[in-house]
Amino acid sequence: MTLPGSDAALPGSFRDPSGFVFRQNGVLFRLVTRSYQAEYDRLSGSGLYDALVESGLLVAHREVALPGLPEAYKVLQPELIPFISYPYEWCFSQLKDAARATLAIQMRALEFGMSLKDASAYNIQFRDDKPVLIDTLSFESYREGEPWIAYRQFCQHFLAPLALMSHTDVRLSQLLRVYVDGIPLDLASRLLPGRTRLSLALGAHIHLHAKSQERYADKAVKPGGRRMSKLAFQGIISSLESAVKSLNWNPAGTEWADYYDETNYSAAAFKEKERLVDDFLARVQPRLVWDLGANTGRFSRIASRRGILTIAFDIDPAAVERNYLDCRQNGEKHLLPLVLDLTNPSPGIGWQNRERMSFAERGPADVVLALALVHHLAIGNNLPLANVAEFLAQAGRHLIVEFMPKTDSQVQRLLATREDIFPNYTLEAFEAAFTERFEIREQARIADSLRTLYLMTRRED
Amino acid sequence: MNRDYRSAARRLTMAGLALVILTNVAHAYLDPGTGSYILQLLIGGLLGGLFAIGLFWKKSLAFIKRLFTGKKHDLTGK
Repeated sequence: MTLPGSDAALPGSFRDPSGFVFRQNGVLFRLVTRSYQAEYDRLSGSGLYDALVESGLLVAHREVALPGLPEAYKVLQPELIPFISYPYEWCFSQLKDAARATLAIQMRALEFGMSLKDASAYNIQFRDDKPVLIDTLSFESYREGEPWIAYRQFCQHFLAPLALMSHTDVRLSQLLRVYVDGIPLDLASRLLPGRTRLSLALGAHIHLHAKSQERYADKAVKPGGRRMSKLAFQGIISSLESAVKSLNWNPAGTEWADYYDETNYSAAAFKEKERLVDDFLARVQPRLVWDLGANTGRFSRIASRRGILTIAFDIDPAAVERNYLDCRQNGEKHLLPLVLDLTNPSPGIGWQNRERMSFAERGPADVVLALALVHHLAIGNNLPLANVAEFLAQAGRHLIVEFMPKTDSQVQRLLATREDIFPNYTLEAFEAAFTERFEIREQARIADSLRTLYLMTRRED
Repeated sequence: MNRDYRSAARRLTMAGLALVILTNVAHAYLDPGTGSYILQLLIGGLLGGLFAIGLFWKKSLAFIKRLFTGKKHDLTGK
């Protein structure tokens, strides 16, 4: 058996000397180093760990005995989050809920004499419809007099992107994909409208903060200088909480958010499609479904209501927002809506491009749903059908895919503004391209429509 | 004298190393940023004051509400 040292840490787990995450025989563990012993004991002994786990804000773990780890004070086996997502894949309300969860944890920690020593958005994951902190080693003893060490990180990872999404453009969340440690505050300050300078919270935490960073760049903090009371510390957390709470985004007039109201087929055809998807899922019995181009998640819910973990990807932040708000309102389980552009899916980012996993690395799914999707890729993005089939074969072992012929009005809509340079976009060419990668197990014409639905299984080389 | 100095320096270095190796204190790994650190000191007083007023206001409202509901309860009780 190979024993882990810090070189066995997962690629994203190298910054904090308090410990690291590693995998052994397929099981995920978190090693707590001896340097973190006192803080770990305080987290457990003070009751903070129990309070946070009970309120659903922190993942639970159990201490396990793994022999041969001299640098370990403890080894933890944390509760698994079945699908890892990243802040640039979250809709506005997901990022807002993650920010509020971080601040709620910080306020709670203060009650127990502790404080968050980091406030990374990557430490938050979604468990069903709720954000949860996954880094058990994020706590340190609160030292009266010292400001919040993670203040800058919180503003860069949460407040700046939320303010930009709310006040400038929701698509600016994608800056998080470029800046792995959050959006630089000078950039956020430039991109935000001038009126935000008049807001006490955004004026202080973004604009003044950016100026202060510029002024004191490369200058060290004088030891033994001014101190900060606990009340002032709480005042800053409370102000951040009000700032986040007051930020909103109301999607209006987006392209696909009202797609279901504009579909060209009858209610009977819709029902028939739902029945066929349900039937195909029942045959495969998957544990993980990726719904690509999920819109607001109507078909994703056929899978999630069967208790199957379903990730509902869509390019439209408004559709994902609506999907997430529905999940939250109904307390839905097993469904995670995420923003993703399939023509440019999340790459591996960070150090050596390995800190944050690419879209492909998180797969393959057991089943990929590709409903009313192929025409978007083939006609909307000029992709040859063989390339679409190759991509879908990488994404999942089984495929439930819909083909819409050119005569379908939704395909006509895509062709309305451009020349038809797609002579090979036919049912025959589709089947020929896809049978190179998949075996067709079932196919059914959706009654009362021009569409065909397939259940396919990937050919294993 | 010189030898004594070297010996003391060596002992001090060893003690320093031992402290680094043996101490069980976790150190901050995140750079708070001087500008971010100083800004908190500057705005902390004002925001702390607002926080205290907010707390006082909430407590006062809760107290008044309790008084009000308490009276209502008494009346119902009668």
